[in-house]
Amino acid sequence: MAQSGKGKLNYRCPSCFMRDIDIDMFYDKEKKEYYCIRCQYTGTEEDVLKKNEMARFRYRRILNRIKEFD
Amino acid sequence: MGKFILNIIHRPEMVPEYAEKVTGQGKKEDISRKSLLTESLDIFKLQQQIAHDNGFKTTIQMTYASLFNEEAVSLAKEHHEKFGDEISLTLLGLPCKEFRDKYKTKDFCIWMFSMEDKKSIVDDVFEKFHECFGFYPESTGSYYMDAELTNYIKEKYPTVKCAVATCWEEGPKAYHTCNNSWYTFMDGGPWNPWIPSRQNTHAPAADEAEDSGIVAIPHLSRDLLACYDGNGSNFGTHPQNVLRGMIYQDGQYPYLYNLIDQYRHLEKFNHGYSYNMMFVGPGWLNKMGRWEASYELLKQSYEDGMAYYGSLKKEGKLTDMTMAEFADYYRSNKTYTQPECALWKDILYGSDKQLFWYCDPFMRTCVNMDQGGAIVDLRPYAAKLNWPVGIGTKHVTDASYPFLIQEKYRAGYFTHYAGEGTIRSAKLSYHGEEVDLALCRTKAKFSEEGKTRILTLDPVDIEFNQLTIELQTKIYFEEGSSKIGMERTILEMSNPKAEVDINEYMVACYGTTEYPEDMTSITLSCKKDNENKEILYAYKCREEQLDGAIEVSAVIPPIETKVLLTASKEEATGYIKEGYAFSPMFTLGYTSKLKNKEVFTTWLSLEKAN
Repeated sequence: MAQSGKGKLNYRCPSCFMRDIDIDMFYDKEKKEYYCIRCQYTGTEEDVLKKNEMARFRYRRILNRIKEFD
Repeated sequence: MGKFILNIIHRPEMVPEYAEKVTGQGKKEDISRKSLLTESLDIFKLQQQIAHDNGFKTTIQMTYASLFNEEAVSLAKEHHEKFGDEISLTLLGLPCKEFRDKYKTKDFCIWMFSMEDKKSIVDDVFEKFHECFGFYPESTGSYYMDAELTNYIKEKYPTVKCAVATCWEEGPKAYHTCNNSWYTFMDGGPWNPWIPSRQNTHAPAADEAEDSGIVAIPHLSRDLLACYDGNGSNFGTHPQNVLRGMIYQDGQYPYLYNLIDQYRHLEKFNHGYSYNMMFVGPGWLNKMGRWEASYELLKQSYEDGMAYYGSLKKEGKLTDMTMAEFADYYRSNKTYTQPECALWKDILYGSDKQLFWYCDPFMRTCVNMDQGGAIVDLRPYAAKLNWPVGIGTKHVTDASYPFLIQEKYRAGYFTHYAGEGTIRSAKLSYHGEEVDLALCRTKAKFSEEGKTRILTLDPVDIEFNQLTIELQTKIYFEEGSSKIGMERTILEMSNPKAEVDINEYMVACYGTTEYPEDMTSITLSCKKDNENKEILYAYKCREEQLDGAIEVSAVIPPIETKVLLTASKEEATGYIKEGYAFSPMFTLGYTSKLKNKEVFTTWLSLEKAN
């Protein structure tokens, strides 16, 4: 089995991101999956993107333009 | 003042942070790789062009590495001539072949070097700059500038009057976010520009004698709520930080504009003055993309951020300045003791939480309205703690200003199973029931009377089984006094003849990280005329009290600080409490009886304890 490399766009582990840890994932070409070297997350690019959407749950005003600050 | 001022800073960093790790993945390290140098300079040119296209002048902070690059030097000269950009000098971006050959180290953070190396590096970098441009710079900076470093620079190169001197709340949280590999511990400083004292960079100078001679600006303008709780590198006036935080959807990032606008709003609390700083290193505009974002999105976000500032300038709502210009402006418009105030609102999570940040030469503190106006962060600048950092000192990497209260690192109101967390709040009790004001969510309004800044909190209801109380809190910050006054007024009682007990308390400790420090040198005291009760801290869970105490205090030798509480009612009982191993805290407090319409005020004061 050949060594892993960084996949395109340096995807971070979505599971670690949700606990405020930025850690780039590596890509396993044979299994066609990204994996985290810190936790147990593995997933395809599609799954990573889906989980990244999930990570945004806490930003309830992510698309709001706020004009009132009082 | 009536101005929103913007500093835009760019640096030609020939070996951008991240770039070697990101673009160089799978290759042997080579910081002189030509592709790296070319790409870096291209990004710098792009950033400059975007700023100039929007009608801005910038501050070009030359890195040491860029001083060996003819194109970078000539670009700086050209942009100075053509656009009025300031040619400045940063102590970031030291790594290059010449630096490594001389210093034989991969260290790159100026504050972490030994004092001997700091001086030598400063001399090398400033003299090389002079060789390139024929003058010494008026501004400099790094992510952190320790006091000893600043004092040396100011003495040797007195032209310097402005410096990027800290990243707000970049400490243990940033370390954790980077999988414990990012050693920038510099919590506890001001969020907006200040004049650093000669003793400690974080602590503003109280007078001319303490003045370090520079005006410090923070690295970026950070979200005062999101950064306090989360990773600082996600929530600042740095478009790629916002992308890193995944605070965008469908290519839209209104949060960036909301953040800028909330900073503009701070003029309301600071005599019409507000400030922003944007400083994006070239590594953040990496051609290979970063943080799941493509290069196109990275670039777009930079263009959009700058365009928003540009639109504000066109509308006459923004003034761009170089760092040196800003230093002059700041000095002619601020007094030493004038505080920086920020009543800050959550603009991202939808919680409606409100914090109030206050910073002056004697303290930095945070009041949390979601916890009934409890003080949840307190840094005793009154101590002007001398805290050398770097190799050869006791604090090689830890540049944070110590706290007495920090709710994230020392629990705050909620603890697990046993013990207490750091907080300054009050408890009311009646017939065996007890309510902490920290559980009474409210909002505040800001006002100013003479030299006193006042936070007036909306009244809260406290419901006991047989009694309901309406209570209001007002918090007073008297300029230059080193004191915080907390006034509680019983506005209404369901039984006007009832009497409740109030316990004004402060649970504190000291530290710079999440982990406890040795408390054994702390002395707790309760004073009344000729009577004095003391506890020498030994983790024995002891308590003392005195009816009619004139003050209760703690002296904390490791941070040269004395903190004390005093009360408005002579008959109030002062008390001190020692902690224990599972709860390494101390408590200072006053208890009293309160009747309908009665007012009870306590003051928290900070002093230097030699």
